Amino acid sequence: MEYSTQLCSALNELKRITGIKLEAAAQTPEEEERVLNQIRCLCTAYKEKYNKNHFLKTLMTQNMSSIEAAEHAQRLHIAPDERRILFLLEKKGPLDDTVIEILKNLFPSQTKSYLIPMTDCSMAVLRPVKSNESEHELSKIAHMIVDTLNMEALAQIRVSYSAVMGHLTELGAAWQETSLALKVGKLFYSEQTVFPYNRLGIGRLVYRLPISICEGFLQEVFGNEIPEALDDETTATINRFLQNNLNIAETSRQLHMHRNTLIYRLDQVEKRTGLDLRKFEDAMTFKIASLVMNYLQTERNTQT
Amino acid sequence: MASLSLKGIQKIYPNGFHAVQDFNLEIEDKEFIIFVGPSGCGKSTTLRMVAGLEDISGGTLTIDGKVMNDVEPKDRDIAMVFQNYALYPHMTVYDNMAFGLKLRKVPKDEIDKKVREAARILDLDKLLDRKPKALSGGQRQRVAMGRAIVRNPKVFLMDEPLSNLDAKLRVQMRIEISKIHESLGATIIYVTHDQTEAMTLGTRIVVMKDGIVQQVDTPQNLYNTPCNLFVAGFIGSPQMNFLDAVVNIAGNDVTLKVGDYVLKVPESKKQALINGKYNGKTVVLGIRPEDVHDSEEFIAANPDSVVKSTVKVYELLGAEVYLYFDVAGTQMTARVSSRTPLRTGDQAVFALEMERIHLFDKETELTITN
Repeated sequence: MEYSTQLCSALNELKRITGIKLEAAAQTPEEEERVLNQIRCLCTAYKEKYNKNHFLKTLMTQNMSSIEAAEHAQRLHIAPDERRILFLLEKKGPLDDTVIEILKNLFPSQTKSYLIPMTDCSMAVLRPVKSNESEHELSKIAHMIVDTLNMEALAQIRVSYSAVMGHLTELGAAWQETSLALKVGKLFYSEQTVFPYNRLGIGRLVYRLPISICEGFLQEVFGNEIPEALDDETTATINRFLQNNLNIAETSRQLHMHRNTLIYRLDQVEKRTGLDLRKFEDAMTFKIASLVMNYLQTERNTQT
Repeated sequence: MASLSLKGIQKIYPNGFHAVQDFNLEIEDKEFIIFVGPSGCGKSTTLRMVAGLEDISGGTLTIDGKVMNDVEPKDRDIAMVFQNYALYPHMTVYDNMAFGLKLRKVPKDEIDKKVREAARILDLDKLLDRKPKALSGGQRQRVAMGRAIVRNPKVFLMDEPLSNLDAKLRVQMRIEISKIHESLGATIIYVTHDQTEAMTLGTRIVVMKDGIVQQVDTPQNLYNTPCNLFVAGFIGSPQMNFLDAVVNIAGNDVTLKVGDYVLKVPESKKQALINGKYNGKTVVLGIRPEDVHDSEEFIAANPDSVVKSTVKVYELLGAEVYLYFDVAGTQMTARVSSRTPLRTGDQAVFALEMERIHLFDKETELTITN
């Protein structure tokens, strides 16, 4: 019997996930629509009941009672009280077959690790933690994921990871942690590729602040003239100066610039912002303000 | 293989962090280039920009004359070996090496040919059926190299590939990598923070600090003629001794006052101090530990470069001895023959080989004379 493309792909999907090969008979478009719906419902029901990834994704992103979670876990043969860690990796651009294949081989199913696709570009890896594995070793696994995908898939990857969970019901919290770590990490520590949930520093604080408070803070620091963005050269100079612990001699040496030029530029910044970066207090305020500006800029870009 | 050109390469992250500044380098075909520097100096970032794993904020990268700034990593014809490599635990050595090619849908017979050839180069022929857990650390590292070699890339990029190995294995693998470079005739860029690795492997070394290239030169030239205080201190182990010295120019006589000692500057070094008008100024005197001598003959022949001190630590390394002592409140190291009679607590006389001293401007830290 000849099927329409949609019906054909629905039947193939059903066969792929359940192994059941069905034949459908539909004479009219209405009948075909009904058949399609029935097959889709069958697929969803099967996924909900038997698909571990579907269950784990639901547990991560939706509220599920602990009793319901325990029932599902038992049915799917997932030990609820095993120590586990959640890694969340994000690729620049969609995840392709190469990346997925590499991850499958790095975390084979025999090791009771689960790969859970979250979006087109991100994948969560739920991995058991051995009793003798330290935090340092877990950090090494995160770096290993990045380096291996860099080497084998030539893909730009960032990874965040959660605390070690003692029970499957903590998966939702772990998901929140890793998502936050990835967002905060990309925003404030963009030079890094691995973001542990517990090393987010001041970025975590800034990220949690309501927009109105951030705007109020910038208003307080800069008055009405909030610098949208300093030019690249000034930004580079300021960053280098802050990186060198406000040391003028070292900064001017590194930037191949006369110390008077550097002092002139710092004076210009003071004129524009009212902050004398040679003073620790002002330098600290500037640093926090620049983190806040960075955050607001990203928020605005996300909204547009 | 390939030549690379990096012109004015910069990396500024969205958070404003300026990781690499105005990086300029021409890499010739078959060169073994080392990026070396302390942690956070921008060497890995530069390598990742070459790989395409980081976007280039400014400047131009070309490989074989073709601009690569916006080319996808997979289209750059490169292969990488990084620090935290992982072998697929359930696959044999053969399959581990073949895996990347299988993903690229390379024909089976071609995969087989490439894997066996790489295994031969890496001396892994007899281990092809083993699983990773049955391999030693060095063998695993060679498999990781093999995965890169089978791709037959234009350029190999290696980011601290040996840093997870113990000291003995690192030495062995250094030799292996040197051999691989020779047998493949490959262009290699290799990142390390270990200056010994840099000195032994590289045809040229790029010394970096705080995102800025300090000097690019052959290992020998870097050692003998460092361009500034940082390079002088970074290259060489034990590191170069540094002493503050006040210059005194009286006619044609130039001396350096270090604490209570007056050292006579040889003819070859005088002119730079006179031309630079350093009279009365403090400069930094640098001298390598092997240029500090304890032999009686040398001391007798060089009475104008003698310092006296008490040996604080005696460190025997087999063929040679490191002696640690203070001069004008600064710790110094002498690398002398193991036949030296000096021991901890002894009053000692040392003579500095003044022809071998380096002088640096105290403010700019640039070399005055080598």
